[in-house]
Formats: sequence, structure tokens, C-alpha cells
Amino acid sequence: MNLTSLGLMPVGLMHYLILSAVLFAIGLYGVLAKRNAVVILMCIEIMLNAVNIALIAFSRYVVPVQLTGQIFALFVMVVAAAEAAVGIAIIMAIYRSHQSVDVDKLDLMKW
Amino acid sequence: MVFDIAFFVLAVIIVGAALAVVILKDVFRAALSLVMLFFTIAGIYITLHADFLAVVQVLVYVGAISILIIVAIMLTHDARQGSTSGKLRIPAIIVGLLLLGMLVFTVVTTKWQLNNTPPLEPTTAAIGMKLFGEGGFLLPVEISAILLLAAVLGAIVLIREK
Amino acid sequence: MILKELQLLTPELSLLVFALLVIMLDLFIKQKKVLVVVSIAGILVSAGFTLSLWGIHATDILYAMLSVDQYALLFKLIFLVAAGLVILASQDYISKFAQFQSEYYALVLISALGMMLMAAAQDLIAVYVSLELSSISLYVLASFLKDQKSTEAGLKYLLLGAVSSAVLLYGMALVFGLTGHTCMPCIADSLKGMPISNIMQSPALLMGLILIVAGFGFKIASVPFQMWVPDVYEGAPTPVTAYLSVASKAAGFAVILRVLFVVFGATAWLSQDWGLLIAVLSAITMMVGNVVALSQSNIKRMFGYSSIAQAGYLMVGLAAVGMAAGSDALGRSGLLFFLMSYTFTNLGAFIAIIAISNKLNSDQIEDYTGMSKRAPLLAIALTLCLVSLTGLPPTAGLIAKIYIFNGAVNHGLLWLVIIAVINSVISAFYYFRIVKVMWMGAPASEEKVPSTWALRVALSLCCLFVLLLGVLPAGFMGIAQAAVKIFTGS
Repeated sequence: MNLTSLGLMPVGLMHYLILSAVLFAIGLYGVLAKRNAVVILMCIEIMLNAVNIALIAFSRYVVPVQLTGQIFALFVMVVAAAEAAVGIAIIMAIYRSHQSVDVDKLDLMKW
Repeated sequence: MVFDIAFFVLAVIIVGAALAVVILKDVFRAALSLVMLFFTIAGIYITLHADFLAVVQVLVYVGAISILIIVAIMLTHDARQGSTSGKLRIPAIIVGLLLLGMLVFTVVTTKWQLNNTPPLEPTTAAIGMKLFGEGGFLLPVEISAILLLAAVLGAIVLIREK
Repeated sequence: MILKELQLLTPELSLLVFALLVIMLDLFIKQKKVLVVVSIAGILVSAGFTLSLWGIHATDILYAMLSVDQYALLFKLIFLVAAGLVILASQDYISKFAQFQSEYYALVLISALGMMLMAAAQDLIAVYVSLELSSISLYVLASFLKDQKSTEAGLKYLLLGAVSSAVLLYGMALVFGLTGHTCMPCIADSLKGMPISNIMQSPALLMGLILIVAGFGFKIASVPFQMWVPDVYEGAPTPVTAYLSVASKAAGFAVILRVLFVVFGATAWLSQDWGLLIAVLSAITMMVGNVVALSQSNIKRMFGYSSIAQAGYLMVGLAAVGMAAGSDALGRSGLLFFLMSYTFTNLGAFIAIIAISNKLNSDQIEDYTGMSKRAPLLAIALTLCLVSLTGLPPTAGLIAKIYIFNGAVNHGLLWLVIIAVINSVISAFYYFRIVKVMWMGAPASEEKVPSTWALRVALSLCCLFVLLLGVLPAGFMGIAQAAVKIFTGS
């Protein structure tokens, strides 16, 4: 990529990758800063979506016909759904025993 | 050209929604902006000519994961009281910005080997062939089947009363 | 062709069949002990199939998603042995559950299945999906007790695990974007011959490497992703802790060695880059693990930090492999030998702890006072394992450390070996504190600590192998060397 494509138009791979990097960083910030387990789980989903944008953008611009990136993103979605289900189940179980889902209040053991 | 404009509109909404998820104090509103985020990302997929993935994004993320999260918020009452930040807020901002800087530097300086072939469209049949056909990804499909079984087992074990 | 491929997949398929069988049988059978027998039978059948494939010429199956080679087969055996011993050791612990016994065994088997696929996976997508298969089962197992500590352990494990896999995925995405491939040999091909001067034009490669190492670092509990270890080890059911500390870590090393070696090992300078990265992480990991372990009063927590330290020693071996840049087969086999030794040693220690804590209902080290009088055999076994973890003769731990440190010295990592030896000395303090407490103090009560037959079998197997690997290492070293032959350049 040369400097001319650093301009806003036309939209290319780099635009998508920067969007993905911004999302990933926001997600990571949320994971580190937030105290509510449900919100942390939401931030993890943001990070996974950021990865998916990168994968699909690579798929479009690097291997437009093989679709490998799209397949990868599809598996990421499957796993994310399974992980969210188990995560919510654990949060429910924890809520039953603690009456709270604040990770800082879970202070039997230090975070 | 339409896709170029659409990209910028969607990108602004996406970043705004993501920031709302981490900034809003009300967990329920944060969850709703997450739904918005998932929805607009499906739009991004359309601008990338990934029509099948866009539909899957709506079905799985908007349809399933968001609902799970909202149900979790409803069931754990105190989650509604607020999504506050812990003592790690300042270090988290620094780590986030550092990572962002590194990633942006990486993607901008790297010489990606672009391929100018026009993208495949529609992708559904091609993805099906890739998943189940010759030389494809049959094994990960089978593994994800077991993975979903394990997740179902796990969720039942954890949710049922003792 | 398909039939032939299914034959190569028999270890995984049979394990899956038995896992499903365990769930089904639970519906019809009142006598829950049968479930243990069926699970163990599954492990034995799967191990039998694995052994029958031993000596096979490395073959790619299912469109090059999996590679059936000695390396994968050896790791499959390690996971099966670990799962089998954990099932034997948890029989007493789990039989107290009113329900969900079959799910426990099935999840142990399924996570072992995930690890077996991880060790054989040749494609980044397959690596990721099988990694998650084993992780999700382990998240559930960690919170299986559903009490406060256990659910909390499960939640922390899941949240940190999910973040680390997002990081891993970003790394994989960058590597995929740079090369356009997800299959590891294909990526290696497109990186091969890349001169070092090109790195300025493709920092994505380095960034991808760092993110991938960070993501796997969570699995093997290396700094800076070690913070989940003590909490999860303390809160999870003790048999699950044993399983995590051994099988999950071995799986992490299996996949990290393959990815680093196959994908990033083809180019010498790249290989030395990650070698150095791992070496630095290794030094910090050892220090953190050992120094913090000194001040622990809970034995499971202490073993958590101890396992971080052991991961540090293993990473010394990994760093040596990187520095050698593909030329040194011995370094890799030393790493495999250390993993075998660590598996038996740590499992042995945990099985003894399971037996003792079942009786005491406590994990405090001070409650182990005078254990030699209450349970002499358990105390002897635990002492043997602690001696091996420290790395003293005549046990497996000593030989394993000699192999690993020797490999590192040969490749210019003398500084790292000096740090590792100092750390071994530090570790003696906390390991021998337990020995001292068990043999010197007066017991709080004279009551004997009982143990079931299954647990005794598992424990004596572990001790037997700890001694065997220590006294007759040559045979096992031969197996390890046969296993690493598949990598190019050896």
C-alpha cells in the first residue's frame, strides 16, 4: 500500500483493519476495566467481532476466491456462541451462590 | 462508491456503539448498544461481499448471543445497578491505547499481498462446498459439533439446581 | 481413502464413542461405579488404538487438517494417561455427587479428545476449534462443584481464557492475512526464504507471532498470563486441578511447539527471535512462580505457583529449540521427556493430595502435620513426587532437568540455565517444607486417612513411572526422540 491509499477513498483493506484494531482495543479496555462479569463477557464479544472483521477483510482482499477467512470467521462465531452460553451459565451459578456478579466482590480469592 | 460511503457511516456507528458499551453505566443500555454494534457489523460484512456471513452474524449474534446476555442481565438483578469501572481503569486505558498504537502501526506499515480478483458473490454455495466438499474444512465442522454438545452438557450441569 | 483415514482417526473416534456411551448409560444404570469402568475402558481402547498406530509414517488426513505422526501420538498417550489417572483418582470424590456423575466423566473424556486433536492439528482453524473444545469442557469442570469458590474459579478461568483466545485469534488473523493460508505447512512455505530485511515491511508477522505466543501463554500458564492459575487451582475440584495442571499444560506445549516450529521455525532468524522471546518470558515465569510459591499456606495454591515455575523450566527447553533454529533434535526430545516426567510427578502429587484432602476437608499445609503417621504410604508417595519436582535423584525430575538444561547450554542460553538452577534451589524450600511438616510434626489426630483401590492404583502407577523415568531414562528418551523425528531437519 502506498501513501495515496492512506487517503479516505477508496476504502481498502487498511480501513477495515484499522476499524478492527480500534474495536479490539476498546474491547480489551472494557475487559480490563469493568467489574461486572456480564459486561466483561460483552467486551469479549466485541474483541471476537473485531477479529472477525479482520478475518473477513483479509478474505475479501487477500484471498477473494478461496473464502478461507470467511470460513475461519464462521468457526469463531460458533465458538463464541458456545462460550457465551457456558459463560452465562457460570454467571447464573455464581449469582445463585453469591447474589452478585461483580468480579471485585468475588473476593474469596483475589482477582 | 456506495460501499465506500456505507463503510464510513457504519464504522462511525460501530465505534460509537462499542464506546457506549464500555462507557454507559446502565448495563441494560450497554447491552442494547451491543446489539446495535452486532447489527452494524453485519452491514460491514455486506460491504465486504460476505453476504452469508452477514446473515449468520444477524442470526447468531443479534438473535442468540444478545438474547442470552439480556436474559442474564434480567436474571441477575444487581447487574442493572450499574457497570462501574474497577481500580484498573487508568492502566486499562494505557494498555488499550498501546495495543491500538501497535496494531495500527502494524497494519499500516505491512505490505499486504493484495489480490485484485473480484470477490465471489453470492458466497453461500461456495462456503457450503468449502465446509463439506473435497479439500475443505470437514474436520472443524465435526469438532464444532462436539463442542456444541460439550457446551450444552456444561450449561445443563451448571444451571440445574443441586 | 476415507476408510483409511478413519482408521487413522480411531483413537479420537473411540474416545468420543465412549464419552457418549457414558452419558447414555447414566440414564439406565443405578450403579454409578459402572461409569468409571466404562470411562477407563474408553481410555484403554483409545490408548490401544494409539499404540497400534505407533511407528506409522507421518500422514496428513482429512484434507491436511490433521497430521497423524509420532509427535501427535506421543502427546495423545500423555493426555490419555493423564485423563485415565484423573478419572481413577476422582472416583471417590465424584461418587459423593447426587447427580451429574456421568457428565463429569464425559467432560473429562471430551476435553482429552480436544487436546488429542490439538496435538495433531495442522491447520490454524483446526487448532483453534480443538483448543476451544478442550477449554470449554475445562471451564465447566472447574465450576463443577457449584459452590462459591468453584464457580468463581470457573468464571475467572472462562473470562481470561476467552480473552486469551481472542488475542490468539488476532495473531492468527494477522498471519493469515500476511500469507493467505491457514494450513501451517503452507504458511511455512510462503515465509520460507524471507530475508530478515523484509521484516520492516511486514511487522504483521512479528505482531502475529507475539499475539500467538501470548494466547498460548495462557494455556501453559506463562507470565504475563499466569494470574488465573492460583485462583483457578484453588477453587476448582482437586481432581480437575490435577488435570488442568498436567494435561492442559501439556496440550499447550504440544500445540505451541508445533506452531512455532512448523510455522515460524523454517526461517532461522525468525526462529531465533521467538527463541529469545520465550527465553525472557521463561526467566520471568520461573522467578514469579517460585518466589510467590514460598509464601503460600494453601497446598493447591502452592502447587499452582509451582506449576507456573515448572512451565518456566519447560520454556527453557522451548527457547533452546528456537535458538537452535531447527538443527537440534535433542533439545526437542528433552522437552518431551520433561513433559512426560512432569505429567507423572505432578499427577502423583495431586492424587496424594486428593486422598488426604478428602479426609481432612482442608487444603492448608499445616494440616498435613504428621501425615507420615496417619497415612504412611501416601506420605511416602507425596515425598517422592516432591523430590522429583525439586529435581533430585533418583527421580524423573532430575534427568528431565539435566536434558533440558543441557540443550539450553548448547545453544548459548547459559544465563537462562543459571537462573533456572537458582530457581530450583529456591523451589526446594517450599517443596521440602511440606516434606518436613509431614514427617517431623506430631499429628493433630491419630485417625488413619483411607484411600480407595482406584486411587491407590493411580498413585502407584505414578510413583512407578517417576522412578522408572529416573532410573532408566534411556528407553523413554528413545520414545521422545522417535516422536520429534517428524519435524524437518532432524
